[in-house]
This record gives sequence, structure tokens and C-alpha cells, in this order.
Amino acid sequence: MEVDRADGRNPNQLRPLACSCSILHRAHGSASWSQGDTKVLAAVYGPKAGTKKNENPEKASIEVIWKPRTGQIGKPEKEYEIILKRTLQSICILTINPNTTTSFIIQVVHDDGALLPCAINAACAALVDAGIPMKHLAVAICCCSAESGYCILDPTKLEEQKMKAFAYLVFPNSILSVLPEGSSLVQGEPMEHGIITSVTHGAMSVDDYFHCLERGRAASAKLSDFLRRSLQSKLPGDLSKAG
Amino acid sequence: MCREDGSSEVQLGQTHIMGFVTGQLVQPYRDRPNEGTLSIFTEFSPMADPSFETGRPSESAVELGRIVDRGLRESRAVDTESLCVLAGKLVWAIRIDLHILDNGGNLVDAANIAALASLLTFRRPECSLGGEDDLEVIVHPPEEREPLPLIIHHLPIAVTFGFFSSESLLVIDPTHHEEAVMVGKMTATLNANGDVCAIQKPGGEGVLQSVIMQCLRLASRMASDITKKIKDALLLIESRQLGSEMVETYNTERALRKIKRHPTSITLDGSVNLKEKLNEPSGHNVVNELSRKHLEKPRLASAENASSPGNNGEGESKSSNFGRSSRRDGATSNFVGGAASWDPYSRGVDSDFLKASLASRGTLTPKKKQQDPTGERKPNESKPEESPGDVIPTTSAMDVSETGVHKGGEKTLKDAVKPKHKRKKKAFSSTADAS
Repeated sequence: MEVDRADGRNPNQLRPLACSCSILHRAHGSASWSQGDTKVLAAVYGPKAGTKKNENPEKASIEVIWKPRTGQIGKPEKEYEIILKRTLQSICILTINPNTTTSFIIQVVHDDGALLPCAINAACAALVDAGIPMKHLAVAICCCSAESGYCILDPTKLEEQKMKAFAYLVFPNSILSVLPEGSSLVQGEPMEHGIITSVTHGAMSVDDYFHCLERGRAASAKLSDFLRRSLQSKLPGDLSKAG
Repeated sequence: MCREDGSSEVQLGQTHIMGFVTGQLVQPYRDRPNEGTLSIFTEFSPMADPSFETGRPSESAVELGRIVDRGLRESRAVDTESLCVLAGKLVWAIRIDLHILDNGGNLVDAANIAALASLLTFRRPECSLGGEDDLEVIVHPPEEREPLPLIIHHLPIAVTFGFFSSESLLVIDPTHHEEAVMVGKMTATLNANGDVCAIQKPGGEGVLQSVIMQCLRLASRMASDITKKIKDALLLIESRQLGSEMVETYNTERALRKIKRHPTSITLDGSVNLKEKLNEPSGHNVVNELSRKHLEKPRLASAENASSPGNNGEGESKSSNFGRSSRRDGATSNFVGGAASWDPYSRGVDSDFLKASLASRGTLTPKKKQQDPTGERKPNESKPEESPGDVIPTTSAMDVSETGVHKGGEKTLKDAVKPKHKRKKKAFSSTADAS
């Protein structure tokens, strides 16, 4: 069923994306990612010696600091930090530099809906900029479902508030490999159909959720292409591992 | 498009700071029932410097906050009485958040400019008294009534100097390399009217009175320069907002200069005046060029916006070419006083303007060469130093420095010039929504 979105997009359309890398001088890697009006700045400082108390010293650990636009740091920011940390832990290769800490600092410049996906995308771009080894990249997207069961992608803040439920989904970036057997198949399905992270708010039926998953997966292909293109243009001679 | 005001982004060489202003209705202090409050929060984000940590603000963070605060509050730059809505009951509390994104040195000056810029563009919703007895305060959302700007009497600009162990060497606007080796520093906050709002010299090496006076003179010249540039940028934004609701960034470039003590300061004045006269007629061209650049920018930005992100590469090369060519023309004419130079497009410009400003003090460069301080210098700055003192900046010399910038920072130049990503002025409907 057709739905009118406030800014005239159709349900499957994403907002204009923009990504720029290497914007900060002191940080080892930095990137800014914007989807429409939501804009996030991410900076990475490469491995520092030592891990925190509760971390496993056999592996590299990741630390995320989330800085909101204004105001004190509270529970929502802590939650974002944890989600981001777990997501990044699954894509970085943690066995390479044991007993080190890689720090991510996320600064929210403007929040107009789909903030966490934007931050995840920015963090991945910053990782590539810093040259930290990863298994593959991740692309994140936000899907929401409304009462009547249709699902829309990449909502603005107003749309998010009006929706019944929404989900942040993170998919692995699709692999572009030279060898035909390079693209890994996990149990018969291409790898990019897996989900790295899924965070939902609100209540939605199981069918709605799967519906959102499908839409999200389709859109993640577009996002992967954009990510690949923008990162390639920044690093002309150096294709990142995951393509 | 975003209709928010009250945010700014400042780039001073490699230093990158963002400022956000928000307002909230609160109860006033007991002893000041009819004045609003102004508070400044500085966030030394760990992304700016690996040594910054979250949690308790470090000494330098507190010091920075205090300097900016003193400049604004005690000089009464912001009119706090106009922030009163209902005496004794409700006043506006203005909160300025300064986020340090990149520490390239001289955070105080950049933070000050960021705070001023965001205050100037901040709009608070209009309130009126209504209800029975006229005691209820109604806050009008921006859709109903146009939000009001803050009343700002003057703009206090901070200028920082660094002193080195060799007595006759002082530096304006130190980079973080210089900050690491300097032995003393001083921050003078002045406004364009020539009033000294604050001076901070926290310990360090002792300096002679004459040096302090010279610093103050220099600072006063820079302050009027920077004030003018901030106001120009504001005008451009306002005219643009009326037109197409696009947003802008501030991007202040400052050339680094080594200045000798007062025997040479006289020649400084003399040569600068000479420069000004020569450049009078071309002054207009520069202004036109700048405004042309700005007019072009929204077109480029809107083109990028509309198209898919794949266009990024082309968009940025277009604008970078444009920015570069206009800079080449614009750099020949020196700005007033030869002090701060302002190019909203690139960070790599400082060597050009350094060339132009050094050339205005052409007689000084031979002496400066002897006095090369410690080797902590960025390569693109040392280039202009090496070229002999030309009084008139020749275009050939400029090209040399320009290619230097090119080589060194090709990527950063392109990145810096992207208009879309530097758009930072946003509106913030400042109803009391802080939670």
C-alpha cells in the first residue's frame, strides 16, 4: 500500500548519503557519515597498549565513547556505546593485536532519525581510514513498521516517533572477490544475508519483522555499493579487504 | 532542510571545534532575579588528542572554559537582562557546548570564535505573558512566531601568543607543536572597539612590559580583523537563509607569523600601510570573489544533495578547483592589516596567506631567517620562509607555495573543500526540551 512520507520519498528510498574520510588530523582514522540531516563524526585511535580490567587480555579490546550533541551523558548513550562495541567486535579481527585497546569516539553532529545506523556506518568508514584489519565491513540501516503493516526505510525523527516500532539492522558488507569461490557461503546462503546486529524498539509482529529484514537486506546492497565507491575514491591504490 | 540556528564549526589551521547553543527556561539566581544566565561547557573530546580523556575535565579544559567565559560574561558581551521573561520566576539559561574535535593547537582562540559564532546565530523562541493576571508564560514555537536573536553588544576575540626561551621570539596562534616547546603563553581578549576584555598569562617565562604592549597592539589589530570576518560570514548566511535556507560554516585560516620585538614593529606598520594603499582598488575584487564563491557553493551543494552520493568525487573536485583558482587571485591583495586571512574552503591555504602576509613585511624576512626557532615546523610553513623577502608577492612565488600545499595535502584539500560536509550551521528550536 502506498504511503506518503513527509519528504516525498517512497517507502524503500534512502535519504541522500554522504561520507568523507580523513577529516581530523590527530586521530588515526576519522570519517563523517550523513544520511539526510543526520550526521555523525567518528574517530578511531589505533591500538594502545593494555586492556581494561574486565577485558580478555588474550584479544584486542574495543572501547567506544559516544558524545551527544548537548547535555550530559546518560543511559541512552551508554546503550549505544555497548551496541556499537559489540557490533565492532564482531567485524574486527581481534586476535591480531592481543592486549591492546582500540578506541572509537563518536560525536553526534545532528540527529534527525536513524542515529545508530549512521554511527555504525561512520565507525566502519573510520576503521577503513585508519587501516585497522577487519573481517568485513558492516552496513547499518533502520526500518520501521507502522500499524498497517507496511515498512519504511531510513526514517526521519518525526517518522520514527510516529511509527509503531522500528528496528536497527546491521548486515555484513557484501564481498566482491576476484576468485569465483571467494564469496563465502555459510550453510548454503551467501554471507551477506546474515545479520550482525538487530535492535528493535516497540512491538511488531514476527511477520512484520521478517518483512523489515528483507527490505533492509535489499537496501543494504545499495549501502554497500555506496560505501565501496566512496572508500575506493579516497584510497586509490588500496582496496580494503572486504571490498 | 534544517532550519536550526545556534551551531557553528570553526577551523583554525588543523584545530577543529564545534559549538552548539541551547536555551532553557529556568528560575533565576536569588541575587539576580532579572538576569538570565550563560554557562559554557567545554568537551575535550578524546577524538581531538590521544591524551584527552573522558571524565573529569583536565586543567587545560577548565582554563579554556574560564577564559572564554570571562571574555563573554564579565565584559557583558551578551545582554543577560534581555533574557529575563518574568522577573524572579523565569529566565532564559543559555548553555554553550564547545566540542573540541581536533587539537591542532591554540584551542582558546578557536573555541572563543566558535562560541561567538554560535551565539550570534542562536535564536530563542519568543515568549509572551498571557493567561489570567498575565502571569502565565507562553512560549511560542518557531512556526508561530519568529524566534529572536540574542542581544550581543560586542564581540570579544581572544588572541593567544606563545613565548620562547630566546627572548625576542614570540609567536601568534601557536600550533600544537609550538605549544609543546614554548615556555610561556598569553591570551588577550579584546574587541573591535579596542577594549581589553581579559588578559590571561598563567605563569611561564617572564616577559618585558614592552613585549606585552606590542602583543596587545597586535591583538587589537587581529581582533578587529576577525570581528569583521565573523560579521561578513553572518551576513552571507543571513542572505542565504532568506534565499534558499542553505547552511554555512566558518572557516578561519590564520597565518603563523614570527614577530620580532619593537625595533622592527615600526617597519611592520609602515609596510602594511604601503600594502593597503596598493590594494585599495583590488579590495573590492576580493570581496566580490568571496561572495561569488559563496554563491557558487550552494549551487554545488544543492547539486550534490539532489544526486546520488556517487557524485561526491566530481562535486568535490569541482569546488576544489574553484576554490583554488579564486584563492590564487584573492591572495595577491592583502587583507586589512595583513593579519588573519580567511578562506572558507581549505585548510591548506595557510601557506598562501602566510606568503602574502610575510611579503607585506618583506624587510623582516631576512632577519627572521637567522632566527629559526626549534625545528618543530610544518613543512608547508617553512616554504614561504625560505623564499627571499619580496615586498610584492609575485605569482610565481605563490605558485610554489601552492604546489607545496598540493603535494603535502592533496587529500585534505579535497576533503576540506567539499561544501556539503562542511555545512554546519543548524537551527535549533530552543524550546525547553532538555531532558
